[in-house]
Amino acid sequence: MVEKKRWFIGFFVIALLFISALPVSAAPGYDDKEIRIAAWGPQTGPAAPWGTVARGPGVLASIVNAEGGIYGRKIKHFVRDDQYNPAQTKVVVKELVEKYGIFAFVCGTSGASGLAVKDYLAQNKVIWVGPATSIKEYVFPVNPYIFTIMPLYEDEASVLTKYVVEKLKIKEIGVLYQNDPYGKNGLDGVRQRLTKYKLKPAAEIPVEAGEKDLSSQILKFKNTGVKTVMMWVNPTTAVIALKTAATIGYKPQWVASDTLSDFALMHKISGGLWEGVITGAFTSPPDSDHPLIAKYRNAIKKFAPEERPGLFFLAGMMFTEPLIDALKRTGKNLSTEGCLKALNSTKSFQGSGPKITWTSAQHQGTDSIMIWKCGPGGSTTVLQGWSANDLATWKKKK
Amino acid sequence: MFGQLIVEGLAIGACYALFGIAVVIIYKTSEVVNFAQGEMAMLSTFVAYHILAYYSYPFWVAFIITMIFSICLGMFIEYAFLRPAKHPSLLGLIVITLGAEMLLMGVAGWKWGAEQKAFSLPFSFQSIHEPIKGIIINDWAIAVFVTTACLMVFLYLFFRYTKLGVAMRATQQNQQAAKIMGIRVERVFSFSWGLSSFIGAIAAMFFAARSTLDPAFMMDPFLRAFAAAVLGGLMSIPGVVIGGGILGLVENLFGYFWPEWKPIVAFVMIIIVLCIRPSGLFGRHYVKKV
Repeated sequence: MVEKKRWFIGFFVIALLFISALPVSAAPGYDDKEIRIAAWGPQTGPAAPWGTVARGPGVLASIVNAEGGIYGRKIKHFVRDDQYNPAQTKVVVKELVEKYGIFAFVCGTSGASGLAVKDYLAQNKVIWVGPATSIKEYVFPVNPYIFTIMPLYEDEASVLTKYVVEKLKIKEIGVLYQNDPYGKNGLDGVRQRLTKYKLKPAAEIPVEAGEKDLSSQILKFKNTGVKTVMMWVNPTTAVIALKTAATIGYKPQWVASDTLSDFALMHKISGGLWEGVITGAFTSPPDSDHPLIAKYRNAIKKFAPEERPGLFFLAGMMFTEPLIDALKRTGKNLSTEGCLKALNSTKSFQGSGPKITWTSAQHQGTDSIMIWKCGPGGSTTVLQGWSANDLATWKKKK
Repeated sequence: MFGQLIVEGLAIGACYALFGIAVVIIYKTSEVVNFAQGEMAMLSTFVAYHILAYYSYPFWVAFIITMIFSICLGMFIEYAFLRPAKHPSLLGLIVITLGAEMLLMGVAGWKWGAEQKAFSLPFSFQSIHEPIKGIIINDWAIAVFVTTACLMVFLYLFFRYTKLGVAMRATQQNQQAAKIMGIRVERVFSFSWGLSSFIGAIAAMFFAARSTLDPAFMMDPFLRAFAAAVLGGLMSIPGVVIGGGILGLVENLFGYFWPEWKPIVAFVMIIIVLCIRPSGLFGRHYVKKV
């Protein structure tokens, strides 16, 4: 009897495992009343400041809904915490797609997380607009369901290096880069531009995301005679780099990635050392008088008063703008195919960010960045408006 | 160049050592590696941050309140989490500390959010001195050196010449014998957790001033401090200080010449030391005869 019972339990467990492993067909992600969109991002853990981007689309959805929705359909936005962990991203994305049915994802932080789910999303015909990171593998070769907005770090680095060499007249450039695709793409861009000037970086130093001591690395920049340090690192590492430089009396011109362009935050957490730092930027400044940014600031006060209208929150709204535009152009008879067609015909769309163009053969929306400088109290000075990378390799391949 | 590398290496090494001492104190009495050590220190630093940011108290008032909190926190964790475990194995106790780690991180994330915060000390890293040409030292590093040295001397005297210190050593060597000799073992454990949490909080404040404050900010320092403690010997306080110094120096030299190897040097050192001298460079393990 006991033996039979064991067999039964064993059979039951195996059957359960088998059933759970079967693919569940995803719900369409919309009905007559609503269109469901979603974003993942770290809401806890060391990368949480970047995770605010996932909450921004919620306010844009509230604006659209307050204006009557899209052909009578309201936008419903879901946010999930993946803790900057690709394994967790898989879990939350699967849950959203299979339990709720998601029409499109927006934002989505971390290259590793995105790579972990991009094929799953494509298999389930779920659109993903405006990943909040810039990874070549998303759209090269073209993925029919992914539409990127953030300029490639390579393009950003190239434009920033051009600014440093031509405008600041500095040729002694060092690169501090995170030892992952984000940092390495930035390094590639610096090299690409310097090669054009027949120059090389004076020092290239990798750093791991969690490192708390950068004294030897910064000392190397100092001893190599580096006058500009360019960084593709996370916010904490950037702060440690600046503080460490201060401890040895080293004062280079710091230039950093657009991921570090939340000046209010960076100025605060660096104890004011961020003043004077130059960064790339992928959206209009949070304190600008751009009509859309002003509208968004007011909407945040109304719909999400607990949120700080910081760069990443506003960027989350910017990343969602082209999807809303495409949904409007798709018309009343909504379908994934119809929306894809509308997205593929996006030409020079300009919301609160750069001009976006997508075609069926090209899903990298832009190669343009702005160049900002952090002023007193974390204020923003725009040094250069939207500037494209004339050396962009992906445009030449077209 | 080498002079500056040595100063920077010793400064961060002293910081690892300071935190390593906190790890060693608990290990010295109970042979438990406390994986919640970093998060206990993190929570205490958040308390200091809260007092400074929201109540604007002078730093030293906030410091004293934080130290009292850190002692209470250490004793509470020992009393609430470890003591109730019935006939726990060493592994069981370590798993409990892992659970406490998750809990404390969750509490900090819930209360203060995950966004980084700025934390500063009266000893500014921006206040620099050049005692020898080409070698710069800042107030933060001087404060770390002085604090570590003072604590090491204090603990050396404490463990050697005070009744409580001797009781702690006796408890580590043989709990049953210590009980028979009239030592209140539970109280010794509580005290050692409180003392360890107190020292950990001081170290965490130094780390936070050098980087940023967030719920996960002590994860990396804990691993390095643990490496320093293993290197020096988990039972030896002078050992952990020397281990921290060696670790800081080696990491800095690697960081300068081979930066890509810097993050793993500490762990390669742990493996090598454990293979050659399982008790660490200065550790001495009391072996029970069967």
